[in-house]
Amino acid sequence: MELVAQQIVNGLTIGSLYALIAVGYTVVYGIIQLINFAHGEIFMIGAFGALSTSLILFPGQTALWTLPLILIGAVAAAVAVAVVMERIAYRPLRNAPRLAPLITAIGISVFLQELVRVGYNDPTLFISDANPFDFPSAKQKVVFPRVDGISGESFDLGGIILQRPAIFTVACLAISAIWLWYYINRTRSGRAMQAVSQDPDTARLMGINVDRIIVTAFAIGAALAAVAGVAYGLQTTNINFKMGFIYGLKAFTAAVLGGIGNIQGAVVGGLVLGILESIAIQYFPGGSPWKDIWAFSILILVLVFRPQGIMGAKVVDRA
Amino acid sequence: MSKLSHNPRLAGPLALAGSVLLIVSGLLSWSYEPILGDISVRFWPVTLQVYAIVMGVIALLLALVAAGPLGRWSQHIDPARGLRTMGVTAAIFAVTTLVAITHQTGGLINANEGVWIALVGGLLIAAAGYLRPETKVLDPAEIALPAWLEIIVIALLVGLGLYTAQYALKQTDPWVLVLLVGMLIGVTLTATRSNMASWVGGVTMRHQRVFLLATFVVVLAFPFTQGGSEANLNIAGNVLIFAATALGLNIVVGLAGLLDLGYIAFLGAGAYVGATMSYSAFATIGWKPPFLVVMLIGGLVSSILGLIIGSPTLRVSGDYLAIVTLAFGEIFRLAMFNLDGQSGPMITRGSNGINAIPDLNFFGFNFGQTHNILGIDIPRAGNYYFVLIALIVFVIIVFTHLNNSRIGRGWVAIREDERAAEAMGVNVFGLKILAFAGGASLAGMAGTVKAHMDQAVSPDSYIFLESAFLLAAVVLGGMGTVGGVLIGAAILKFLPEKLRFLDDYRLLMFGLVLVVMMRVRPEGLIASKRRQLEFHDDDEELAETVVIDELEAAK
Repeated sequence: MELVAQQIVNGLTIGSLYALIAVGYTVVYGIIQLINFAHGEIFMIGAFGALSTSLILFPGQTALWTLPLILIGAVAAAVAVAVVMERIAYRPLRNAPRLAPLITAIGISVFLQELVRVGYNDPTLFISDANPFDFPSAKQKVVFPRVDGISGESFDLGGIILQRPAIFTVACLAISAIWLWYYINRTRSGRAMQAVSQDPDTARLMGINVDRIIVTAFAIGAALAAVAGVAYGLQTTNINFKMGFIYGLKAFTAAVLGGIGNIQGAVVGGLVLGILESIAIQYFPGGSPWKDIWAFSILILVLVFRPQGIMGAKVVDRA
Repeated sequence: MSKLSHNPRLAGPLALAGSVLLIVSGLLSWSYEPILGDISVRFWPVTLQVYAIVMGVIALLLALVAAGPLGRWSQHIDPARGLRTMGVTAAIFAVTTLVAITHQTGGLINANEGVWIALVGGLLIAAAGYLRPETKVLDPAEIALPAWLEIIVIALLVGLGLYTAQYALKQTDPWVLVLLVGMLIGVTLTATRSNMASWVGGVTMRHQRVFLLATFVVVLAFPFTQGGSEANLNIAGNVLIFAATALGLNIVVGLAGLLDLGYIAFLGAGAYVGATMSYSAFATIGWKPPFLVVMLIGGLVSSILGLIIGSPTLRVSGDYLAIVTLAFGEIFRLAMFNLDGQSGPMITRGSNGINAIPDLNFFGFNFGQTHNILGIDIPRAGNYYFVLIALIVFVIIVFTHLNNSRIGRGWVAIREDERAAEAMGVNVFGLKILAFAGGASLAGMAGTVKAHMDQAVSPDSYIFLESAFLLAAVVLGGMGTVGGVLIGAAILKFLPEKLRFLDDYRLLMFGLVLVVMMRVRPEGLIASKRRQLEFHDDDEELAETVVIDELEAAK
């Protein structure tokens, strides 16, 4: 019994990460029916933004007061990249055939990964060797800064081990979900976003600035992904340029599982996927090496048999 | 560009001046330091200077069409678009050269007058292009010269192709190579934009057999021109395997319009079949059939996988299908990792892969040895080159026949509008499955050869990035065309092989190119007219020609 409880705790932790990233897929898809394939990279950029903030402002400092600052740094980096990406890569292709933005997204994804890999400790790339803040090379794993009180010892609740970063991750998800709910349902621009997602043309006629809403959607997704990036860094204590790919794919699975376009669905889907995965590690044949295979099989099965997901989003024709 | 800014009278002289400047720049010194094949000497054009002259001559030709003795050609050739493309290419070329000089010598100060003049020339040409309005022109494909002259043109073109491939393979300086390929792409685009390529297309269509024969001869002659160089033939072999796989993907993406992001898995499945059934000491299957049987099995296994992955297409399409295939590709890779005897049954030896796969041996002809044919050494890679040529010819025949058949038209119908196709009685599901299984089997066969050529297989060669590369080859070259995909595959496989010590920035450039390409020319370098229409659906003139072509094809 303890084992099951432990796996559920682990599942909720990893699931919270998936959920935070999945929101980004779902918000954007809900509005412009675009699978933002590069969203996983935004998650990675968030983590590196946090690391950079720490290295620039307070290298070596691990006090708790650094946490809000690195979170802000992460969110700023991720939102900036996402907004620029939307502007130069997606907006010009909004009326192009559906293949075009997907291929652009793959291009952006490769570009961002490589930019971090070769450019992190050498931002001018091959022109000169400029590295004013002594950034480490990102070609291998990079150590993520610790934060006192969050990277510390784990709690033991009667046999169930509770990691501190796990609590932080789940708390991040909870706060983000509440804020998101408030934003979507209680603010003007949140309601405008709903309107655009239902009918962009009518929304435009009603005086809603559709372009701005789309950028906002990208920014919200990026902000939550950045938070996830920080949570990931604190949990695993190191980050790398490749981390966005597999997490992006899993988060997309979560978004589809919950019903893509449906924000509550993304949160539920993320948690369900996380728990399923943890249970698969323990009880499915093959164990840990096969867990990703199970996750992707779930993705395929859901897409084939219930493309609207468990929460049932609005049925989209693309499915 | 507003209509007001068009000033055709100024365009002619500007274009003339620009192209002359560009040609002259080739005779001047480009750099203070003797770099990039020594571009510092005056009146002795090498590498970059020669490319500048080539571009200048083409621009001059267009300028003479725009204003001058070749004016009557302007019925068929649109100099405005041609000049724009050529001018922009030349300007980018000059700027890139400046970057190269800065990078190589450590300062912009080392750039000499030639490169600046080339930049000015390029900008003038581009300006002339934009000052002149685009004109509607007649399709030059119809202009027929005497047959013997056209055949000479074909021979020259094909010979030029061989020479270019040869020349490009010889280049060792990465900057020179990048600039060369950039120049070639620019020239190709200029030819298509200004309609010159259409005439070449017409010539090759009229003498299709001659063209095919000439191409075939050149392709077969290629290994003999390499003087026994293993490295170059190895690159050629890799290009061919990649191209065969990309052609398979082209059936799925280009014809049927089903986006597949896990296609490398089919090549991988074929390679693993080839490896596990080989005489390698690490092979895990005891049965060792002859290679042709292995090849068929490889194709079969891949097509079964294609069937499995294709079956969701009944219910899933578009973006969702892309993700399904992406997930499938990841499942394949992870499964190959896990079938290592520890986390699963022992089949693939996991991350170690299967090594020491022996060379092929056809009836005593050992592929591992250097053979002397007609006094010229054909090394190991050369032997594989010929097998791969046979394979790719087979793939191209399958592709073109499918494309021009009822099946191919069915695929195109599905791509354009699935519901309408279904209503017209097209067996949508059957054809989709056929596209997946057929394309996959081609990739699987290529995979079995790849296993022997590389002498090893491991899961690391079948990552998502490789699928992205394949897709890029199809998209960059031109979806649904054979020539385009071959060119796309050649560029994407050849450049990275040659730019090995730019290793770190290769993928960065790749990502950038994908994005730029989708914005600038989403239909690919060589586009089928129908595809082009899809991306520029407000072009009524194009729509008309497509309809006419379709009607003629249906006759």
